[in-house]
Amino acid sequence: MATIAHPGDHGHGGDHGHDDHGPLHHQFEDIEQQNECYIVGMWTFLVTEVMFFGAFFLMYTVYRMYYQLDFYRAHEHLNIPLGAVNTMILLMSSFFMVMAVQGAQLHNRKQVIGNLGLVQLCAMGFLTIKFFEYKEKFADHLVPGVNFTQNAAELHGANLNHAQIYYGLYFGMTGLHAVHILVGMLVIGALGAMWIKRDKLVTEDYVPTELIGLYWHFVDLVWIFLFPLMYLLPKPH
Amino acid sequence: MAKTPLQAAQSTDHGYQHHVVPTWKYVATLLALTVLMLLTVGAYYVDIPAVGPISGTVMNQTVALIIACTKTALVVFIFMGVWWGTKLQKLWALTGFVWFFLLGLILIDYPMRAYESVQGWEGERGKAGHGQDGSALPRVVTPSSQDQPVAPDEINLRPRG
Repeated sequence: MATIAHPGDHGHGGDHGHDDHGPLHHQFEDIEQQNECYIVGMWTFLVTEVMFFGAFFLMYTVYRMYYQLDFYRAHEHLNIPLGAVNTMILLMSSFFMVMAVQGAQLHNRKQVIGNLGLVQLCAMGFLTIKFFEYKEKFADHLVPGVNFTQNAAELHGANLNHAQIYYGLYFGMTGLHAVHILVGMLVIGALGAMWIKRDKLVTEDYVPTELIGLYWHFVDLVWIFLFPLMYLLPKPH
Repeated sequence: MAKTPLQAAQSTDHGYQHHVVPTWKYVATLLALTVLMLLTVGAYYVDIPAVGPISGTVMNQTVALIIACTKTALVVFIFMGVWWGTKLQKLWALTGFVWFFLLGLILIDYPMRAYESVQGWEGERGKAGHGQDGSALPRVVTPSSQDQPVAPDEINLRPRG
């Protein structure tokens, strides 16, 4: 396998994307270096995502420090079983994702496509449950703004303003997470389509599948923290 | 000599090696994550008693966060493959979390400042008077309290509709 592309390589057939070098591109010494570069590149993106979500978690921490009791009261409105089911759905989707990556490593096309399909189903299930949770909160006027409810029963006795901060963080953080799920569904859909079409970009080497897997696991990680911090606030005692 | 797909992928049939994690390790990880998820929901319903100066609330929150961090470690090391990754990958994975802890240093600033309460926004730390424990609305709930406006000085009331 040639590790250095010669100027003459550009001659054949106009297609120098796949023909000669397999998955290895000419700027890399060998496939290990290329794979490490790809994966480190993806992790760099994930670090920026940690910074992005980190600001939200910091904001949550500061307001939770000040308004501990009101956050607890406002959170009583959330549906814990639905949150737990959604957590489980995302954990399972992460498992299907690693099985898809394993399939890519073993060049088992059916395993990849089947598992990517299961990941998509999990993502749809997650968003469906989230939709019904949001719908119920919209109906109860729990969206921060001028129409925010003044009903003490809906707020579980929490201070109106502090409850708005809680719901602002709830919709902001879970909404941003849901957007990440949507983006994940798009890229996983594109990846699955490439596997179905036997595109060499994904079938020759497992790393493209692995990179999208890394993104999906990150989305799962965010939810692992969102679930206890939004749904499972400890009772002040 | 016939090779299993696993051995074939680990050998040099493509001129390089990569680590293929056996399925049972992924299944075991999923089971562990499921148990931890159930544990964190279970811990929510238990009021952990205070330990010395640490209140029970903080104990409960600490347990929830330890469980979340354990789940994170499982996902990062096994599902994201950092355990079998190169040193550079491990460094990069660590970077994100180092950043996250540095961000938390901002919290040093908050307890150092006097809490300046704004009417209707008093927290427990404000101890500014009305409401119980920082709440401006009554804890006792009436079925049709939608129709009972709250006193204007209690809330940040804006014109409606």
